[in-house]
Amino acid sequence: MSAEIEITGLGKVFGQGAAAFRALSDINLSIGTGEFFTLLGPSGCGKTTLLRVIAGFEAPSMGSLKINGDEVAAKGPNARPVNTVFQNYALFPHMSVAQNIGFGLKMLGKPRAEIDATVAEMLRLVRMEPMAERKPSEISGGQQQRVALARALAPRPRVLLLDEPLSALDLKLRKEMQSELKRLQGETGITFVFVTHDQEEALTMSDRIAVMSAGRILQCGTPHDIYHAPSDRFVADFIGDTNFLTVPVAALDAQGATVTLPGGAQAPARLPEGMRPVTGEEVTAVIRPEQATLAEPGAGDMDGVVETSTFFGTDTHIHLKLADGQGFVLRRQNTADLAAPDPGSTLGIALGAGTLRILKD
Amino acid sequence: MATPPDSATGPDPDPQKESHGWKWLLSAPALLVLLVAASGPLMIVAVYSFLSPGNVGGVEWDFSTEGWFRVFFSRDIFDPENVSWNWANLNVFWRTISLSLQTTLICAVLGFPTAWFIATRPPERRALWLFLITIPFWTNLLIRTFAIQELLRGNGLINTILMATGIIDEPLQLLFSNFAILLGMAYVFLPLMVLPLYAAMDKLDFRLVEAGYDLYASRVRVLWHVILPLVKPGFVAGSILVFIPSIGAYVTPRVLGGGRTMMLGNLIALQFGQGRNWPLGAALAMLLLIIVMAALVFYLRAVNGEEGKRRG
Repeated sequence: MSAEIEITGLGKVFGQGAAAFRALSDINLSIGTGEFFTLLGPSGCGKTTLLRVIAGFEAPSMGSLKINGDEVAAKGPNARPVNTVFQNYALFPHMSVAQNIGFGLKMLGKPRAEIDATVAEMLRLVRMEPMAERKPSEISGGQQQRVALARALAPRPRVLLLDEPLSALDLKLRKEMQSELKRLQGETGITFVFVTHDQEEALTMSDRIAVMSAGRILQCGTPHDIYHAPSDRFVADFIGDTNFLTVPVAALDAQGATVTLPGGAQAPARLPEGMRPVTGEEVTAVIRPEQATLAEPGAGDMDGVVETSTFFGTDTHIHLKLADGQGFVLRRQNTADLAAPDPGSTLGIALGAGTLRILKD
Repeated sequence: MATPPDSATGPDPDPQKESHGWKWLLSAPALLVLLVAASGPLMIVAVYSFLSPGNVGGVEWDFSTEGWFRVFFSRDIFDPENVSWNWANLNVFWRTISLSLQTTLICAVLGFPTAWFIATRPPERRALWLFLITIPFWTNLLIRTFAIQELLRGNGLINTILMATGIIDEPLQLLFSNFAILLGMAYVFLPLMVLPLYAAMDKLDFRLVEAGYDLYASRVRVLWHVILPLVKPGFVAGSILVFIPSIGAYVTPRVLGGGRTMMLGNLIALQFGQGRNWPLGAALAMLLLIIVMAALVFYLRAVNGEEGKRRG
C-alpha cells in the first residue's frame, strides 16, 4: 500500500509567547491509499486541528505534510486534492442540492455536461435523486449529511476528510450512515480520514486508528491492536472498558513477567516492548472485562466478592471486590437460565491465558 | 392544539383571544403620532399640489394642475401657450437620482470591507468597532458638513496640501460640485450601509467560506459565489437605508453643492421659500415620494425575482 498522506515531525502552535498553545506536537503518520483512517480522541486532543491542517485551513507551524508525494504544507485548501465533510455539513444555503454537489467541479472549470453527469452520478450514489432541486433547508439532517458527502466526493479528491460527520445524527441514523460511509468508501476507493471521539464508531469503521491525546498520537494501529494491545494507560482507558490492577512483579523471563495477583496467586503477564521492570516493582496490569470468566470460589486465579451486577441484555456486568480491596469488573455472556449472582457472595475469577498485559505508565 | 368541546359552545371567550382584543391599544400612541405627524401633512401636501399659488406664498383654494405641469414643463413668459420641457427641473431630477445611486454604490463598495473587518474581529472587540462607526452621529450633521466644506475650499486643507507639495499650481474647484455632494453624502450615509452589512455578516457561517475554499474556489470566487449571495440581505437593507435619505438630502447639497448644484430637496425648499410657488413645491415633494416608492418596488422586485428564478 503506497502512502497517500505522509506527515513527518508536524506541529501546530496557536498564539505566541506566554499565550502560546501547542495544539499538535511531533505528529508522524503515514496513511495508505484507499485506507479508512480514523483520528480518535477526546475533545481538545488535537484531532480536528490535525484534520484542518491536512485540509489546509490551518498552516502547520513545523514539519512536513505530503499528499500523494507533493509537499502541500504551504498550499491553500483550494490547491489540495482533498475535500472535507464538515461537522455541521456547511452546505451553501443559497444553492440547491444539485448546485451544492456541482460547486467543486464548477470551480475546477469543468464543462457543463461533465458537471451535470457527475452531479447525477453523485445523487444516485447517495440516493438523493428526488431531492436535486431542493434547498438544504428543505431536507432533513440525514439527507444534508448525504449531500455534504456527495459534494465532497464529486470532484473526486484523493483524500476525503470527515470531521465528526455523524455526531449530529440520532443513533439509528448514525448506524445507517456508518454502513453508508463504508459502502461509499468501497465504491469510490478514496482514502478517508475520519475524525471522531466515539470509540465504538472508530473500532467498527476503521482500517487503522490513531489515538490522540493532548496534541500527540499515542498509538496508531488496527482496531484489533488498539483494543487488545493498548500501548499505554490512556489508550486502554479510552477504548472500551478495562480493569486496571496494581500488582507486584514476581519474576521476569524472556517472554514476559509473572505477577502476583491479589489473593497471592501468580499469573503470566505480557510486557510492552522496551519495558523491563525489576522484581517486586509495582506495575499496572490490564485485562478487558470479557476476557475473564467466572469459576467456583478458589478454582480461579483470584477470588472476588460480588458488589453489584448490572443486566445489559446480551451480557451482565458483575462488579467484584478483590482480596486487597481493588475493584474488578467481569462481563458474563447471558443465557436464559443464568441467574444474576447474589451480592455478597464470593466467586472465583479465571483469567484467560495471555490476556493480562502490563502497561507503561 | 385541540379545543375542549365545551368551550366551543360555551359563552366564555378564549382568554388568549380576549387579551389580543385590547393589546392593540398599546400601539395607539404610535399610531396617533403617525396619523397626525406623517399622514396628515402628507394629505395636505397632496391637496396643495392641486391648488393655485398665493401671491406671497401659501395657496389659493382654486383647483389647478399647474403645479404638476410646472414640474416637467415651463411656459414662455410672454406666450403662456408656448410650452417647453423644464430642463432646469429635469436636470435636478437626473442629478438627484444619479448622485443617490452613486452614493449607494460608493457606500456599498466602502462599507463591505469595513463591515467584513468588524465581523472578523474577536467578538469582544466588535462592539468597540461598531461604537467607533457611530461616533460621527454624535456631532450635528450641519457642523460635519461645514467641516467638509472647510476641507474642500479653495484655500482649504486639501488644496493647501496639494499646492504645497507642488502637485497643482492653482486651487482645484472642489467645492460646489457633484463631487463635493457625493463625498458629503457618502460620508454621512456610510454607517447606514456598514451596520446592516455587519448584521448580515455576523450571521454568516464562516465554515461556508472554508467549504468554498475547500471546493477549489479562489478567494475572489468564494467572495462572489458564497459570501456576496449570503450577505445580500445586508446589501438590500443598506442600499434602501442609504438611497432613500440620499434622494431627499437637503443639508449636504445645500452646503456642499451651493446654489447652483441643487438636488430635489433643495428645489422643493426653493419653491416654498423664494420661489413662492407652494403647489409646485408640493407637487415636487409628491414626486420625490413617488420616486422613492417606485425605486423601492423596482429594487425589491429585482432582488426577489432573482431569488425566484434560482428556485424555479
